[in-house]
Amino acid sequence: MARSLFLAIAALGLLAALGTVLARNLVRAALHLVAFFFCVACLFVMLEAEFLAAVQVLIYIGAVAILLMFGIMLTRNAATAEADLSGGWRVPGVIAGLCVFAALAFGINNAVSPSGSGAWSAIVARPALEPAEGVAWKAERSRAIDDMPRVVGEQFMTRYALAFELAGLLLTAALVGAVALAREEPAPGDSEPATAVEAEAAVGTTP
Amino acid sequence: MDVGTALIAQSHRVDLSPTTAIVWALWLLVGFAGIFPGIVAYMVWLERKVAARFQDRIGPNRVGPFGLLQPIADAIKLIVKESIVPRPADGLVHLLAPVIVLASAFLTLAVVPFAVGLVPIDPPSGLVYLIAVSSLSPLGIFLAGWSSRNKYSLIGAMRAVAQLVSYEIPQVLATIPVVLWAGSLSLVSIFDHQAKFGWNAFTPPGLLAFAIFLIAGVAEVNRTPFDIPEAESEIIAGYHTEYSGMRFGLFFLAEYLGVFAISCVATVLFLGGGMPLPFSSFPVNLIDGSVGSYILADAILLAVFLAKVLLFIFAMFWVRATLPRMRIDRLMNFAWKYLVPLCVLNILFAAAWFEVVVRPGRIEAGRWAVGMIGVGLLTAAGVQLVFWANRKLAAAAPIDADWPAVGAARGG
Amino acid sequence: MANDIPLNWFLYFSAAAFAIGLTGVLLRRNAIAVLMAIEIMLNAANVNLVAFWRYGTPAAGAGPMPGVILALLVVTVAAAEVAVGIGLVLLCYRRWRAVDVDRYDTLSG
Repeated sequence: MARSLFLAIAALGLLAALGTVLARNLVRAALHLVAFFFCVACLFVMLEAEFLAAVQVLIYIGAVAILLMFGIMLTRNAATAEADLSGGWRVPGVIAGLCVFAALAFGINNAVSPSGSGAWSAIVARPALEPAEGVAWKAERSRAIDDMPRVVGEQFMTRYALAFELAGLLLTAALVGAVALAREEPAPGDSEPATAVEAEAAVGTTP
Repeated sequence: MDVGTALIAQSHRVDLSPTTAIVWALWLLVGFAGIFPGIVAYMVWLERKVAARFQDRIGPNRVGPFGLLQPIADAIKLIVKESIVPRPADGLVHLLAPVIVLASAFLTLAVVPFAVGLVPIDPPSGLVYLIAVSSLSPLGIFLAGWSSRNKYSLIGAMRAVAQLVSYEIPQVLATIPVVLWAGSLSLVSIFDHQAKFGWNAFTPPGLLAFAIFLIAGVAEVNRTPFDIPEAESEIIAGYHTEYSGMRFGLFFLAEYLGVFAISCVATVLFLGGGMPLPFSSFPVNLIDGSVGSYILADAILLAVFLAKVLLFIFAMFWVRATLPRMRIDRLMNFAWKYLVPLCVLNILFAAAWFEVVVRPGRIEAGRWAVGMIGVGLLTAAGVQLVFWANRKLAAAAPIDADWPAVGAARGG
Repeated sequence: MANDIPLNWFLYFSAAAFAIGLTGVLLRRNAIAVLMAIEIMLNAANVNLVAFWRYGTPAAGAGPMPGVILALLVVTVAAAEVAVGIGLVLLCYRRWRAVDVDRYDTLSG
């Protein structure tokens, strides 16, 4: 049951990823990307991290996809909106992708987990958390799964406080940077927008 | 009493035992395919009646007594009508868009605790889930506008996305006080918290958050005075200009379902779910474990819940019948210059309230009075501050600053 | 669980998605399409992180959820990256009237 569900989701996700890469129309590509994000969120649910799945949907579909679509709309250009696959690089690109996949697959098949507990391919089931007495990490993990938002909050405020602060700093920097980049700079000596239309456009983009 | 132990919601740990499967099938068939669309259909009837009364008319009264069969007639009309898709439209996306919007509205209802034990599912990150699924609707609206290949549709979609993304921020920030007090993202825990500490709307920061949540919620479902995405006097019908037949019906259903969902969420977050009295866990404390007590308490809870939701819905119709539409730049200003700063300040006041009243673990009259007066004055001062700062900013700017085209047209 | 999903399946999925994303970065010329392909790669990495978190036995003192926290940080960074990336693309579009990354060749003289 779980296996066939996984296979279906994974197949859909990979098809969507291929669609993103190959679709001629950019909005179609973005739509495929949304489907891919959703499939990844489903995989998170299958990995018992439903909080992460909700965050994935919220940030990737609710924010990133919308932002990308806005970008597509604002840079619409009759010449480049369609058919933008590089001609000369098509074969080398596909070969590079296949090589990377082959290398990764080789690694997955042959890697040994660092704690020396055997090969990854030998792990066919997630560790059971049921007999949690005496094993500290089992109790910890089962609490993390049952109450993920709370544990994430606790961890961010204690163990990962520095990373949390840095992430906040990064987001602030990104916010300021994006506003500074995307703002229409007035040309030197041109303090007022030239035409009413331009002024209106400026008002439209300020929020 | 600790209500949490009494709640028998669906567990978030999905086991596929036959009982769970039957309960889920019941929820899907009876709730999501039967009752909710039925409620929506009669909301439309109610809106037409209410709007008619506001405009000194009678409203639908031909089909059935009081026009009660009108929604069924409307549904039949929408289903049998030809669905016209413009030739240049992107067929698949054109079909997908209303489905995404409708799915977003439906999924929102999946975590609402209607009464004790009457929760489709209670994940520990319920509120994040709620925000996540409600953020799907801008995507659907954008796709609708884009796939129609119509400039009015596209303008409407761009307006809608800008508005929805802007108002999502105050809406999310307004729920933070509630989460802070309940100490949980699960809607059932938030309900429990209010059984202990009184409704969240009866605290100064809670009242402010409630007001902001309602305003942002009205904007989120694109209703007057925030319905510029489908402003029919400016851009025909916005993103659903090119929709007809049942595809338009899906948008229609999604809009009213959104109104219903936002009313349910506001009721649960701020008005204590189905509890009829603000400072008592009245029907919940009837539960003594027997089946009869559950049925009695749930009947009371459900009735009161629906009454509160009806009140919200009526308020939205009232607003629609009374207020004119806002201008797009004013709308953005309102979200970013008023609501967001107010929300951020409100989180501080909520923290103060938490320290004064919630920290001891149970409600105490003395601390409650101190909190009401102290935090209340603080909150009032905060509101004053934000409005004062905005007035100063507006006064400093030239008179046409918020609409330069007007100044330019006047030759300024 | 008897019929659980093997860890390898998640790893293969994420490897395939990563390779597809990489191919996209190499193939597409549109800057926004390149951004999308980068998002695919980041997501593939996230699946890996969470899968290893759930399937592995943690080292002593690793905390209850290192993989999930790292995945959350990746999500944060990805969001920031898209915001700045779109800003850059808009700026370049304004200057060159093109979103084609092959046309941004001022530095090549």
